[in-house]
Amino acid sequence: MRLKLISCEVLFREMCAELARSPHQVDVEFMPKGLHDLGGKAMAQDLQKRIDAVPAGQYDAILLGYGLCGNGLHGLEARDTMLVLPRAHDCIALLMGSREQYQRYFDEHPGTYYRSTGWLERGKGLQQLTHNTVGMDVSEADLIAKYGEDNGRYLYEQLTRYRSNYQRLTFIETGLEADARFEEEARWEAAERGWTFEKLAGNLILVRRLIQGDWKGSDFLITQPGQRITASYDPSIVRAEDIRRTATA
Amino acid sequence: MADLQKLYDAVLNGDQKAAIAVTEQALAEGITPLDLITNYMVPAMDEVGRRFECEDYFVPELLLSARAMKGSLTLIRPLLTASGIEPAGRVAIGTVKGDLHDIGKNLVASMLEGGGFEVIDLGADVPPEKFIDAIQNKGVRVVALSALLTVTMPSMRKTIDALKEAGVRDQVKVMVGGAPVTQQFAEEIGADGYSDNANAAVALARKLVAEGAPA
Repeated sequence: MRLKLISCEVLFREMCAELARSPHQVDVEFMPKGLHDLGGKAMAQDLQKRIDAVPAGQYDAILLGYGLCGNGLHGLEARDTMLVLPRAHDCIALLMGSREQYQRYFDEHPGTYYRSTGWLERGKGLQQLTHNTVGMDVSEADLIAKYGEDNGRYLYEQLTRYRSNYQRLTFIETGLEADARFEEEARWEAAERGWTFEKLAGNLILVRRLIQGDWKGSDFLITQPGQRITASYDPSIVRAEDIRRTATA
Repeated sequence: MADLQKLYDAVLNGDQKAAIAVTEQALAEGITPLDLITNYMVPAMDEVGRRFECEDYFVPELLLSARAMKGSLTLIRPLLTASGIEPAGRVAIGTVKGDLHDIGKNLVASMLEGGGFEVIDLGADVPPEKFIDAIQNKGVRVVALSALLTVTMPSMRKTIDALKEAGVRDQVKVMVGGAPVTQQFAEEIGADGYSDNANAAVALARKLVAEGAPA
């Protein structure tokens, strides 16, 4: 098969490792991790543009290296080529190997931040794609410079208070790491924030099956031309619905 | 004489100190709390909302204006209570069980307070029982549920179902919000209202309170 992969760069190493071993010819386009920060609607608009730019008739399928990603994939329409998307809430499930495994871990470990090679090395120091409307990543010094001493401190406190709800940082190790640098950085971050550090063995089975064209069973959603990806808000996470039917409904 | 335009400006510009100072002076001069709220603070918050809608203001500006308004309200509220003026309604707000994100929830809570509501903030990761308790024991008329993750959105449905099972669903209006939440989802889980931003959430809460008012 000839396949086109549109993937978030947060999975860069994992995708590349599997791409190298794929029996298929796969063209790849990595998208900025910062797309996620724009919110679901803007993210979906951007991804739709990339899908629309894929020439008709050239590929057997467009693979999406994403999960539902905060509704960032909700509403995406297949044009001439079918779309293949792993059923996952987000990249953490793709790194853990299944949505069930992620759900279990999520339920058993509330208040966990996740880190992986992509989370540690991608998207850092890059200017946001547009202005960051929430200001989640700005420093206290930046806020004070912009809003003054009193208001700057207040904003910093408000915007970072959520961190006190977290207790754990889990580093997902996939075995693709060249050295201990990533783990060390994750450990340092956990210590810095006073969180428990945990290392979890990743599982790239979903990534592998996506790239190898092994989409049978319930782990992947196939969206045919004339259909769109829709959030299902149930354990299946996403479903495909006919565009025409819902347009007239 | 207190320059009341300064109160409007202080709320609009998120200057809590100025808001408190003008409010103190105005109250000392005998200007009524309702005059301050109706003619200066609410119009200022309306303008804040307008600027937010047209992306002139962002979340930080919203937080600061709500902060200034709250500063003023801490002086005004006791006077309102003393003169028997009721808040616009009592809202219990929280991020649903399993979800620890609270920036959006805090922002909506601030905006609701700025809009004259009494807000009972139940925090993040709130189990359904806490909402039920607030309805049964604290005279809550609106329950506001927040979630940031698609993973925790089913918790919203569970919370509403729990309200039904406890027999308190009909006593309140339920509004939902949070980045991944949609109008369609709100309808699916049987919520009474959905808002996609903190500013519109205030208008929604007012509408829900009006709908829920005894005939």
